[in-house]
Amino acid sequence: MAKVLFINPVVREEDVPRHVPYGIALLAAIAIEKGHLVQVFDQNAWRTGEEVLRQVLAADRWDMVGLGGITTTYGSVKRIVRVAREVCPESAIVLGGGILTSLPYEMMTWLPEVDVGVVGEAFVTFPEMLSMIDEGRRDWHTVLGTISRGEGGRLIMAGQRPLLHDLDSLPFPAWDLFPLEEVYFPNSEVLYSEEGMLASRRLDINASYGCSLICRFCYHLGIAGDMRYETDAEGRTQVHFDEPGTYTRHIRYHSPEYVVRLARHAHDRYGVNFIGFLDENLMTMDQSSGRTWLKEICRLWHEYGLAPKYEYDDKGEVKGWTGVHWSGTSHATLCTKEILKVMREAGCSHLVYGYESFAPHVMKRIGKGATPKTNIRSFFWTLEAGIRPVPNQIIGFPNEDFDSIRQNVKAWEELGIVVKPHFATPYPGSEWYAVYRDSILEQYGGDLEAFVFELGDASKISATISHNFNAVELVGLRDMMLNFDYRHIDEYEKIWRRNHRIPDGQPSTLYRDADDTAPAAAAE
Amino acid sequence: MSSYLKGNFKTEKEVRPPETKKEADDLESRFERAALKRLGGSIAFVAKKKVKWTLDDKG
Ligand code: B12
Repeated sequence: MAKVLFINPVVREEDVPRHVPYGIALLAAIAIEKGHLVQVFDQNAWRTGEEVLRQVLAADRWDMVGLGGITTTYGSVKRIVRVAREVCPESAIVLGGGILTSLPYEMMTWLPEVDVGVVGEAFVTFPEMLSMIDEGRRDWHTVLGTISRGEGGRLIMAGQRPLLHDLDSLPFPAWDLFPLEEVYFPNSEVLYSEEGMLASRRLDINASYGCSLICRFCYHLGIAGDMRYETDAEGRTQVHFDEPGTYTRHIRYHSPEYVVRLARHAHDRYGVNFIGFLDENLMTMDQSSGRTWLKEICRLWHEYGLAPKYEYDDKGEVKGWTGVHWSGTSHATLCTKEILKVMREAGCSHLVYGYESFAPHVMKRIGKGATPKTNIRSFFWTLEAGIRPVPNQIIGFPNEDFDSIRQNVKAWEELGIVVKPHFATPYPGSEWYAVYRDSILEQYGGDLEAFVFELGDASKISATISHNFNAVELVGLRDMMLNFDYRHIDEYEKIWRRNHRIPDGQPSTLYRDADDTAPAAAAE
Repeated sequence: MSSYLKGNFKTEKEVRPPETKKEADDLESRFERAALKRLGGSIAFVAKKKVKWTLDDKG
């Protein structure tokens, strides 16, 4: 039986750790189910230094050291694999997750310590690799969904791994292998709603994979049917994601029974009083299922005794509840008034909406299938249902201009929205990345790794893709927006028009059309 | 004691916690943490451990 060490790299270092890595928790459960020997070192949870990492790596003779996560874990992954190679020269070092999937060749080049990369979904690929270890083989290139090193270090991309059809065949995540009492439960709070704030024992569940929409900024980790393998001019297999005119999706969801049984298990075994659904978009699933999926989950939530009942203190204030409150993601156009009500009755406390913008011309180019009108409609429907909408916003879209900026500020003012928008960021794997790759390289002096290093929260600026505004302007404009400072925005528009020699009567924009891929920073 | 490694078997060696580097609780650290939370406007302070220059260098 193979001996595996999973390491969860550090993500979002500026905040406390809040999420058990769901993918690793599932892979650990699969490995245990298949009889392997598994340990998890959750470095993101513990946030310990190199000394502990070295001890962990030296604690046993690992056949495999596996790590993975989202692209923004790059800095941490790089540090971990360097130490892992040194302490465990014999172990196979395996990297998976969104970080590897969007840039497989680049990651294998930047991280020479990694022996094998797992591209996209690992539910089948990973146990196949463990069986290979049991057989004493290491011909990784014969396993679908991998990228590995052949003779002379040549990178070999194996064929594409089909997505798992029967999601309910997955075991429950191995939550026991993570520091729940020590780290995660004390960090249960989610400041999106009153119930989220009071959550004291929260775990997350990912009930579905995929999203029917084609938001230009989004990346789906290669696990949503979003990834295509294509052969380039040199005969090399390359991975492709959303590109203008080419979008693929595969929508998959667990049965409502699996989802609610898992929630009940979390409640009974760990005393969980809040579940955060990680799904990219719960409403896509509801629509794909003919509006049955969420309704059935909610019905079962009641049937399994999970629908929460408040408990009050002497002053009549909510102090807690029995059962389980929950949250998730919604979509402005796909949600219905009816389902929101049903969700609230089953304990839904808040729903994250990527409203992104309240400017019609910006919304038209996002690919979200939503408009300012549907944004506002869903906003009121959600509030009426008693659920808090979380109204995410982005600034710095390719065609962001002074009009869109003012339209957003006005909407925030009139809808009582308090928000500090993210900056539009071309994360690898997104359509923006495909379209603006040259511009990103130009902004980073040709050094793509430097860009990936810098990626973190989009609350900080990295590469810009706005055709009208450079990084300095976006940071300044965001500050004025937060302060509803129309006067300075208007004043700056005059200066900006002068700088760009835009005559009176012409609109304040340099954006030409969808094929115009030169953002402001590069244009000047 | 909570264990850094969690799994379904006992590892050959145990992982011992490092010399604790807990968040400093002295008055200086508590003050700097509190001030950082309210940074802005008239709240500005010197992070004493981060001072790199000396008067001789730059004075
Ligand atoms: C939880 C979560 C987070 C957590 C961190 C998660 C973690 N511990 O890594 C937090 C809240 C910190 C977070 C932050 C952000 N996130 Co986030 N997040 C998610 C979310 C909701 C769930 C991830 C998940 O568990 N998925 C389900 C599991 C099963 O998938 P998985 O973990 O990828 O695992 C599978 C494979 O990838 C692979 N795999 C994963 N790990 C490993 C390890 C090994 C060894 C192997 C072999 C395989 C493997 O195998 C698994 C099974 O197939 C996803 C959306 C989604 N539903 O996926 C977005 C998502 C991953 N986030 C995303 C984004 C954009 C962000 C932010 C940049 C948002 C922002 N604008 O600020 C920030 C970055 C913050 C920062 N400073 O770094 C994007 C893509 C990110 C990327 N480029 O990789 C996603 C896909 C959402 C989206 N569609 O836009 N996020």
